[in-house]
Amino acid sequence: MTPVIRMERVGPLVTLQDAGRPGMLADGVSASGPMDRGAFRRAGDWLGGAGSTGIEFTQAGLAFAVEQGPLAMAGDGGEFSVNINGTKKRWPLRAVLKTGDRVDITPGPSGNYGYLRFDREVDVPLVMGSRATNSIARLGGLEGRPLAPNDLLHFGAQVPRIASAHPSADAPAQNDPLRVIWGLHADRFPQAVRESFISGILKVSAKLDRMGVRLEDPSGIFAASRALSLVSDAIVPGDIQILGDGTPIILMRDHQPTGGYPRIATVITADLDRLAQMRPGSELRFAPVTVAHAHTLFGAKG
Amino acid sequence: MSATEIIPLIVPLGDRGLLVRFGDSLSQAANDAAISFARTAQAAALPGVTEVVPNLVSVLLNYAPEHISFDRLAGEVRLLVSGPLAAAGEIAQHRVAIQFDGEDVGEVAASLGLTAAAFIDAHNAAPLKVLATGFAPGFLYCGFHPKPLHVPRRAEVRRQVPPGTVLFAAGQTAITSTPIPTGWHVIGHTAFRNFAPDDLPPTTVRAGDAIQFEVAQ
Repeated sequence: MTPVIRMERVGPLVTLQDAGRPGMLADGVSASGPMDRGAFRRAGDWLGGAGSTGIEFTQAGLAFAVEQGPLAMAGDGGEFSVNINGTKKRWPLRAVLKTGDRVDITPGPSGNYGYLRFDREVDVPLVMGSRATNSIARLGGLEGRPLAPNDLLHFGAQVPRIASAHPSADAPAQNDPLRVIWGLHADRFPQAVRESFISGILKVSAKLDRMGVRLEDPSGIFAASRALSLVSDAIVPGDIQILGDGTPIILMRDHQPTGGYPRIATVITADLDRLAQMRPGSELRFAPVTVAHAHTLFGAKG
Repeated sequence: MSATEIIPLIVPLGDRGLLVRFGDSLSQAANDAAISFARTAQAAALPGVTEVVPNLVSVLLNYAPEHISFDRLAGEVRLLVSGPLAAAGEIAQHRVAIQFDGEDVGEVAASLGLTAAAFIDAHNAAPLKVLATGFAPGFLYCGFHPKPLHVPRRAEVRRQVPPGTVLFAAGQTAITSTPIPTGWHVIGHTAFRNFAPDDLPPTTVRAGDAIQFEVAQ
């Protein structure tokens, strides 16, 4: 028999994710995939061969029971507390689970998203080439929805092991500015607003999810922004949109495919994982870089 | 004929996207240019380009920086824009049957000084062009109706309309394939769906295709 786990306690918006379904914006579907891609990859690296699909969980964590083992599992992303059968384990996590084991993951000191990867593929259907859950289009994952208590996850055949690449933990430069490329409508913002955007501070608000991270603007950088009537354009992850009431929002992996609000800048790919892990109340500063500079950072980050 | 008469703006969208923009506002000319360029770019299979996304007045090229720099891709785009229109494939023709039973159809007709029957005749008089896709899964913007049929959006947004809703505003008719919120007028419903997640690709209608609307029997 192949392994099965049963969800017991599930925090909000716990979803199955894989590399996502890029290339479908014209169909009206954003790519989805892990909010912290580096952590998702590292969790797989700890296993030395993981199924393409893992569980993305949020700050509140989750608990599940192993109805049928054995099942090798690894976890990474943020800092979480983990207990297996009541025994505290280290995070990032490596474990081989047996029938009857109970895994309990609870909030830790930092981070919004953690990942569990397994030595087997999660047995849910491919939808448009991916098992990733898309929370806007309600596609993929388990019935297109977040996981819930009593959900059963079945696993398929074991994934061949590859030479174990021991991941190096990222050096989290939490206080460094997020690097951005000036956006599509940067020239629609007055010079003074652009300068304040770079010199001032915005904060991560409590309203964050896979679609976007709303920001607080305590010094009113965008307070005088007026709703502009713009024709809609495609959106990419990291786009910083200013809503009609002056609220800045950074669009994330389940972003709407197109948007008509002005975009002042776009967070570069190399800094999106760090942004995803910043908790409400975190202060954000931004630093403009060139596209060419952003490209030099891919090698280091994969 | 060159790909387009309009000299587009070429701007980065993040570090993996290049946007080719043919205008600041929606016009037939800018939309024609965007669709023509999108089809040309798709056929050209530009190096490093992973996705070509036509929008109402622009085209997003997503690219892999491992394979091409922004500057080189921008150069390729300038060459394409100034060069001849590549074979862009057939413009597909679709027929979509509508039941004009939407809750706003009477109000829309009245605001145009027409009976409902006369509005429906005028609405279906000529085929429309698919101006853009991508707003939501399978969503279609079709335009443009002649000026006398233009109405503004509703003041209020409906929280959700079901798949297959036929919407009308701003000189356009739009068709939903998934539940969405909308501030457009609901003029009818259709059994037509442009989204089948079990199929690859999941949509069958492309920007630039033609749609002839007719009354469902």
